[in-house]
Amino acid sequence: MNTKVTPSQLSQVDAFFEDALSRQAAPQAPVLPPLNRRQFFKLSGIAGGGLVLGGLSAGVTSKAAAAQAPADLSTLSPYVQIKADGRINIFSKNPECGQGIRTGLPLIIAEELDCAWSDVDVVQADIDQKKYGTQFAGGSTSTPTNWMPMRQAGATARAMILAAAAKQLKIDVAQLSTANSKVLHAASSREWPYSQFAELAATMPVPEANTLTLKTREQFSLLGKRYTGVDNHAIVTGKPLFGADTVLPNMVYASYTKSPQIGGLATSFNEAHIKSLPGVIDAFILEPFAEPRGFLSAAGQGAMFGGVAIVASSTWAAIKAKRELEVNWDLSKAETGTWDDLVARARAAVDQDGPMEVVNKGDVAGAMQSAAKVVSAVYEYPYISHAQLEPETTTALYTDGKIEVWAPSQMPQNGEAGLVAIMKVTPENSIMHQTRIGGGFGRKLANDYVFEAAAIARRMEGRPVKLQWTREDSMTHDYYRPGGLHSYKGALDGQGNLTAWQDHFFSHTLDGKAPMFASELSPTVFPQDVLSNVKVTQTLFQNAMPVGPMRAPSSNAFGFTFQSFLHELAVAAGKDHLQFLLGVLGEPRLANPEGRGSMHTGRARNVISAVAERAGWGKQMPPNRALGLSFYFSHSGYVAQVADVEVNAAKEVKVHKIWAVADFGFIHNMSAAESQLEGGMIDGLSQLFNAKITFNNGVIQQQNFHQYPLLRLPFAPQLDTHFLQPDEFPPTGAGEPSVPPLLAAVTNAIFNATGERIRKLPLSELGYKLV
Amino acid sequence: MATLRINGQARDIGNLDPSTPLLWVLRDELGLVGTKYGCGIAQCGACTVHLNGAPVRSCQIPVGNLTNEEITTVEGLAAADGTLTALQQAWIDHDVPQCGYCQAGQLMSATALLRNNPNPSDADIDAAMSGNICRCATYTRIRRAIKSVSTNRTAFYDASAQGDRV
Repeated sequence: MNTKVTPSQLSQVDAFFEDALSRQAAPQAPVLPPLNRRQFFKLSGIAGGGLVLGGLSAGVTSKAAAAQAPADLSTLSPYVQIKADGRINIFSKNPECGQGIRTGLPLIIAEELDCAWSDVDVVQADIDQKKYGTQFAGGSTSTPTNWMPMRQAGATARAMILAAAAKQLKIDVAQLSTANSKVLHAASSREWPYSQFAELAATMPVPEANTLTLKTREQFSLLGKRYTGVDNHAIVTGKPLFGADTVLPNMVYASYTKSPQIGGLATSFNEAHIKSLPGVIDAFILEPFAEPRGFLSAAGQGAMFGGVAIVASSTWAAIKAKRELEVNWDLSKAETGTWDDLVARARAAVDQDGPMEVVNKGDVAGAMQSAAKVVSAVYEYPYISHAQLEPETTTALYTDGKIEVWAPSQMPQNGEAGLVAIMKVTPENSIMHQTRIGGGFGRKLANDYVFEAAAIARRMEGRPVKLQWTREDSMTHDYYRPGGLHSYKGALDGQGNLTAWQDHFFSHTLDGKAPMFASELSPTVFPQDVLSNVKVTQTLFQNAMPVGPMRAPSSNAFGFTFQSFLHELAVAAGKDHLQFLLGVLGEPRLANPEGRGSMHTGRARNVISAVAERAGWGKQMPPNRALGLSFYFSHSGYVAQVADVEVNAAKEVKVHKIWAVADFGFIHNMSAAESQLEGGMIDGLSQLFNAKITFNNGVIQQQNFHQYPLLRLPFAPQLDTHFLQPDEFPPTGAGEPSVPPLLAAVTNAIFNATGERIRKLPLSELGYKLV
Repeated sequence: MATLRINGQARDIGNLDPSTPLLWVLRDELGLVGTKYGCGIAQCGACTVHLNGAPVRSCQIPVGNLTNEEITTVEGLAAADGTLTALQQAWIDHDVPQCGYCQAGQLMSATALLRNNPNPSDADIDAAMSGNICRCATYTRIRRAIKSVSTNRTAFYDASAQGDRV
């Protein structure tokens, strides 16, 4: 195999999200429905008729309008309704998985609508491509791709209210202005609530997008401050919000058991015994569908693994019966990979090039030959699991050729498409409702558990089925962050400048040709993008343990390896790490001018310089204690971090503090952005010390949190977060870019404190312990 | 026919399998879904409730073992008129939740801590909260919220340094 990837080609991960986003309404496209929908909806007495809720029991919050009976209500657009009592419903289109989007997107609409935030009730939009474009939570794209459409949605509704007010009051629209959900007439010092014009506004022509006047940043009255989540009250009072909180009349409960050796097929099981157990209603084998080892088919093609379903009268009865299940598995087509074997094979080949060329530019061999110093190192990181706290769950009802599901899915539109494939229903009869997601981190971009619930519901036609995965199901049947190895070589000239970069990357393939999802290396990862002499090759192991996107896919591993090796080079060059990094970045410019989403080296330099200043880079440190620096650019976001780390002789590591400076453009909700930055840093620390999934002969070895520990509160370090907000840049996503730099910031600090270079994860396997 | 005392009310649970963990009785039989399933082996704390005022993992308590105990769930923290506890309000004001799935369990652990120790040290907080995993890692805000309602509000965290724009 010898595949050439051109530098301009998008990475598989980027391409995937681009494809998902291609269905997004273009930023300049009208954000309102066609004319025939633009009419005044009097919703009194037709509860639910136009007021679509996120499930029967989910999506209802203190700030959500759902709980109350619809009062007189004027619908200005799919995003904005105004009630007679002055309350304003703003619809939130995308799935909420903790990133704060149910607060963030409605805030943007509210800003341009010029309403008081305290007047707003947030309603979860149902899945509707025509109304809302792409609805998904991934790639840190929700905020940047919706920034303009949401502003236009707010400005459109405001313009319709103003037009209605002008008509109703018989005052020239130019004499009217708005503020705090009110129309103002300065000349007469009069003001009226929006609700007074709402009924007429809903009948006004929808203005063209190019006629809208959007606010300047200085005119923002809402955006840029701190906002608490709209669902906080419902969360702290235990209201039903999440997938498994869905309750339907006559509902039954299901467990589903798949082959411990990935890809095994159930041929028979102790059916009579299982069916004799208390509470068990039915038990049956489900056949696999499509190619469930591939993330993309598990996301949107209905793919699911075969297994044994148990349907019972309660979750406990279904789980208890599952424990007594004895299944005969046909393992002839199951996975047989063993992680330790793959590592050994890779380590035997680290001195060679890989058969697949990822990038080859300049004259690497020449630069290596004429180098003053050549540095080489091999880095290794394991598979890791998403371990989101809410195990996979879906409630499904199949009746008469129609499938309806209530699911915590990061990609519900793909879920609906997948249901069409696996359930053989028409697209109109594939209906997915959004519930709050109890943690996604990329796991719930795959919809395999949704398809399983639907397939079980088909067998139980007419009865709603709630499928609940156990923690063990979740940990042993994930779409993992793939493990990998990098064999690096770097050339330094006599002045300590980095003149060439070489990498042999080891990862995985399903089809023997292309890397699996998140198992590839984009040609534009820094510093490949800024150097002239670069050669990157890849070896693909035929190993189809399921892998998929996990918070900052690829970057979450590359941040560790690339930024550690850059530090190794700085040390070999005898240069200060900060100065070396700034030197490699060079002058402020687009690193890859032809490519979309290119890093700007100036913005990179700014976050690095700022974090160094905040942390006091270069200051005298106590013995056994040092600062470590790292930087990574991903998802259009720039994050630099400095960790203050102390290591004692027993290899106990105390992380005293971590500073982070991020450039995500304009921050419209400071609280949510800070939460994402802090959460991502601690997520990275958790991965660094403890996270490792292994497999032997295709069987995942870790079952639950005692074998896969997550970081707990006592170990959370002090965090200092700061955002640069350059005026000219709109917001980018904050969910992912905070993770990648963290690991190397800490391991570089460990090197600076002890002289020991960390080239393998997790640290617990090297005798280190976080204290 | 068995009865449980939950959030101050007697709740009839019929003739349930006595091995059923309290967690599933709350969720499936009584519609109290605020208490969450996370791991089933007392590792994550998402299912934490109070048993006679003490935080316990409801996934580990067979309902058959319960007789006259007083059980409190997250739904029972606020007053009957809906008034939140100071800690619930602090959770909202400090914007603690991200996904929110673990937060009922976090609140139950923190509530029990403060009831017994209104002025917890950092070490007290560490000890009381180490059984509750937050995968989103809201730990710095959990600390801050607990500190904000403790009687001696020691600043663990300087919010003024966090770059408010407005």
